[in-house]
Order: sequence, then structure tokens, then C-alpha cells
Amino acid sequence: MVGLATSTGPDGAAVLAVSGDLDIAGVAAFLEHAQPLLQSDAAVIEVDLRDVTFLDSSGIGALVRLRKATADGQRLRLSHVPASVARVLELTGLTDLFADRSDW
Amino acid sequence: MSRVGLGPRAIAALIAAVGIVLTCLGSWTLARGDAASEHRILKVQTGQAASVLSAAVTVIEQPLSTALSVLQVAGPDDGSAFTEFITPYVGSKKPFVSASLWKRQGDGLTRLATTGAAPTLDPSSDEAREFVRHAYDSTGTTIRLLAAGGRNLLLWGKADPRTGLAVYAERVMPADRQASVAANSAYSGLHYAMYVGHRADSTSLLSTDVEPASLPMSGYTTRATIPFGDTDVTLVTEARTHLGSALSRWLPLGVLIGGLLLTVIAALTGLRLARGRRDAEQNATTITALYERVDNLYGQQRELFERLQRALLPHVHPTMPDLEIASKYVAGAHGTEIGGDWYSVVALDEHRFGFVVGDVSGRGVDTVAVMAQARFTVRAYLMDGDEPAVALEKCSRQFDITSDGHMTTVIAGVGDVRTGEVMLASAGHPAPLLLNGTASTVQVPPGVPLGIGPARYEQTAFQLDRGATLFCFTDGLVERRGEAIDLGLDRLAATLGEACDRAVDELVAHAVDTLRSPDASDDIAVLALRRVGA
Repeated sequence: MVGLATSTGPDGAAVLAVSGDLDIAGVAAFLEHAQPLLQSDAAVIEVDLRDVTFLDSSGIGALVRLRKATADGQRLRLSHVPASVARVLELTGLTDLFADRSDW
Repeated sequence: MSRVGLGPRAIAALIAAVGIVLTCLGSWTLARGDAASEHRILKVQTGQAASVLSAAVTVIEQPLSTALSVLQVAGPDDGSAFTEFITPYVGSKKPFVSASLWKRQGDGLTRLATTGAAPTLDPSSDEAREFVRHAYDSTGTTIRLLAAGGRNLLLWGKADPRTGLAVYAERVMPADRQASVAANSAYSGLHYAMYVGHRADSTSLLSTDVEPASLPMSGYTTRATIPFGDTDVTLVTEARTHLGSALSRWLPLGVLIGGLLLTVIAALTGLRLARGRRDAEQNATTITALYERVDNLYGQQRELFERLQRALLPHVHPTMPDLEIASKYVAGAHGTEIGGDWYSVVALDEHRFGFVVGDVSGRGVDTVAVMAQARFTVRAYLMDGDEPAVALEKCSRQFDITSDGHMTTVIAGVGDVRTGEVMLASAGHPAPLLLNGTASTVQVPPGVPLGIGPARYEQTAFQLDRGATLFCFTDGLVERRGEAIDLGLDRLAATLGEACDRAVDELVAHAVDTLRSPDASDDIAVLALRRVGA
């Protein structure tokens, strides 16, 4: 089960906090929650991954789709990326695509 | 599914039968109790009536005994003393209609005095003689019933052996022997019939309150016997009305009616409940059948997809000298849609071969469609002579996750069986393992998966020695929920390291059997290439 919550970060970023398993069962809900963020005026869309316990190829695909959907002038930032998630991104050759990260 | 059991009608009938039986039993028991109580009350009342009758007999008899005592004092032949004493007891509405004093002299009888009407009994008749002799022979009162002159007479006689005197009196009974009963008397609740002697026949009938023709009484009757001179009176009674309480009388009927009503209600309720249950069971059966059908349809669909998937996987690998090829595809656990894993080996010329293992993210038939596209595209570039990195770079321009929603990881390679040189490039795919006595990961820097957009890929070259095996796989083999990916990779390396010596197809089967978790939702594709020969 995936848990999703949106909020606004201290720097004005639109934050989507993900918890639990971001897998094929949670992809649709993730993209649905992300849609309003893409349409907002926020310059930074932040996906907080601190409570993600599992990320499979479908979940990675969802992150990639969000990354590619960010409009001009918007950027996607991953925050609090767990080591396990970072490792999966690395093995999938996506470290550079998600280079924009923060840990605070 | 059909249940063997009672139908609603049968259940209602059963309830009705049980209800009727219980009701009748209850009603019958109460009725029997009431009857027993009636009988007991009847006996008590009859006993009271008998006591009253017994007292009445004594009252009637008393003047006759007293008259004889009076004569003992006044002198045996004093007819006037007799007349004086007995007169108050004789007349209409008195105990007797006629009373007379007699004296026995030898065999003859002389009437000394008479009060009231002349005796009806003819003194010279045999009846009279027999009656008198009996009166003289017995110490008590002799009583006989006589029908004469259209009247019923009760003859009373009492003799005194010491004086030779006898008192004789006649009492008139109603002609039809029917006498009404006064209210509040001991007989008020009863119908009665009195008989002289012990036989209840019409000739012995003394008195009754019912129509004599309707005798003898039937139904519940009670008998009592009262001493009556030298004989007895038999009193037969039956209840005129219900003697006990109204409740006791009507309760059996009330229980019967109430019980039958309740039985009908219970049977109808049972019928309704049973029908409800039957309907519910039928609904449940229908729902179960629908589920089974859906499940069946789902199974058929899944089978179709799996056939499609397998149709897209190579059935036969190319035959290359000095190269052994083994592969395996395992669908995800039942209940999950098919995935997009694949493998492919192609002969490029006599000595060179190309190979691909890939994984399209997502599930379902459109995933398989993307897989087919990726499989044939990569393969086509390799067959065209492109090196792996170039083939992947060309492919990267043809897939877009924003249009089809899928991302594809691919490992692509080209090898030469003569030299053992292998070139390898990865589009975000797990690196293969090289088995050469030990298992080690081939260091191939992963580029981005296909679908991200145009990209460049690094190419790695390494030596595949004779006897060494290159083991390519998809993440379903190593990925487990709640576990870091490196643990799965280490587990795979350990498993393969111990199984290096096995035949290549056994190696593949062993790896899949050992590492696949039973509830794995992801599918798995494995391809192993072993270089052999001298």
C-alpha cells in the first residue's frame, strides 16, 4: 500500500510525501496526486521519499513520468531519498536524471 | 450446488404436524384431568345425596318402630293407641297413605286397626302372605315395591315377634316414578335414578328425575347403595351440568383452539423463513457461480496472455558452435497480470552472436505489446551489425514513456565464440554475472532505460573464457519487498557460485527454483550463455 500526502515546503516547494510501497499497485494514485502539483505555480515539485519501503520498476517509471512531465520553469526534486531507493535508481541508470535532491 | 433437504412446504407441514400433535395431546390431557375431576366431584355429591336419602329412610321408618314400642306399653290389642299414634303420619303429603295394625294368630292374620285409605294389598293374596311372613321372620323393616291399580306403592312392614303384632303401611310413589328435584337440594347438580335392590332395571325403578324411558343412564355415572329395610336402594347418578370450575371445563377447548391457531401461525412463519433461506441459498449459489465464472474467464484471459507472451519468446535458440544456451521465463504468481520480461539470442554470423534480456515496466497486454516492439527493435539493430551501445542509442529515440507509460530496461550484448570477446551495454538493466569458477558481476555502467528519451550508452568489453558462463536476468529474480536490492544480488551470486559446475540448463532451473519467492508478483526471465569447446 502506498501512502500519499501533499503539502507546501518551507521554500515554497509543492511537496508530495510518499510512504509505503511505490509499486504497480500505487502508481495510479501517485500520478493522480502529482497532477495538481504539476498544474500549480510552484517552481519546485518535491517528492519526499523518506518513508518509502519498496520501489519497483513501475514506481521508478512513475517517478520518470513525473520528471518528464515537469513544465518549463518547474523542476523536480527528490528529498530524503533512502539508501535503498538511491541504490535502485543507480542500478537503473537514473542517478543523473534525479540529480536534484535535498535532505532537509 | 444443490442442497438435499426439506423444502419450505415440507418444513411447514412438519411444523403443523408437530403443532397439531402437541395441541391435541395438551388438550386431551386437560380434558382428561377435567373428566377425572368431574368424576371425583360427582362421587362426592352422590355420597352426600346417599346420606340424605339414608336419613330420609330412617325418618320414614321411625314411626313404624315407634308404634310397635307404644303398643308394648299400651297393651298389644289397643287399636286406638295405634291409631292415635300413627294418624299424624298418614294422609296426603304425609309419609304414608295407609297404615294398619295386624296380629298373627296361628296361620291367620287379623287386622286390628286401620288409618287412612284401605290397604291396597289383598290380605288373602299370596303376595300378602309372603310379605307378612317375611316381616315376622326378620328383625328389620320389610319393604317391597308393588305396582297395583295403576299406582306404584311402596309397602312397609315391621313385626314384633314378642307381641305377634305387625305394622303395615303403604306409601304412594309417583305413577311414572318421576319426581322433580328441588333446587339447593343434595340432588340439584345431579340426575339420579333410584332402584330397589341391586338391579338397575325398569321394574325396580323407585324414582328418577329424568324421563324413565331414557334409562338406564349412560356416560359417566356413579352408584351408591343405601340400606333400605331388608333390601337396599341403589342410587345411580350422573352430572346434570359441569360440576367443576368453568376454567377447568373450557380450558381443553381453549387450548385446542389456541394451539391450532398458534400452529397455523408457526407453520406460516416457518414457510416464510424456509422460503427466505432457500432464496438466500439460491442467491449465494448464483453469486458463487458468477464468481467461478469470472475466475474462469480471468483464467482464460491470463492463459491467453501467457500464450501471447510465450509466443513472443524464442522457442528455439540458434545453434552456435561452442556455445550452450539456456533460458527460462516464469510468469508472476496467479492473480497478477503478465509482465513484460523477455530474452532473445540471435546468430549474427558463423561465430558471432547477439543477445538481449529486457524488462518492460508495468503489466498487462499493452506491456507485452511494448515488449514485442523493444525485442524486435533491439534485435534488428544487432542483426544489422550495430554494436550494443549503438543499438541501444538508436532504440532510445524510439520509445517514450510519456506516450505509452512504459519504461524498458535492456541488457544487450554481442559475442564471438572464437575469441570469447563479449561487448555489453545496459539501459538501466541489472548487470549480468560472469561464472568462471566463482560468480562475479560484470561491470557495465547502466545508461538510462529506454523511454526516458534519446541517450548515449557506455559499452563494456570482457573475456568469456571456455567453460565460463554469462548469466543475464531480470529483477524479478532478485527483488524482494522490504529488502535492499543488494541482498538479492548477493544471494544470486552465492547461489550461482555454488552451482558453477552444473550443466547450463540445470544451472538456470536451479537458480530460478532456489531464488524465486512463491508469492512473487513479478515475472522472471533468465538467459545463460556458456562458451565451450577446446
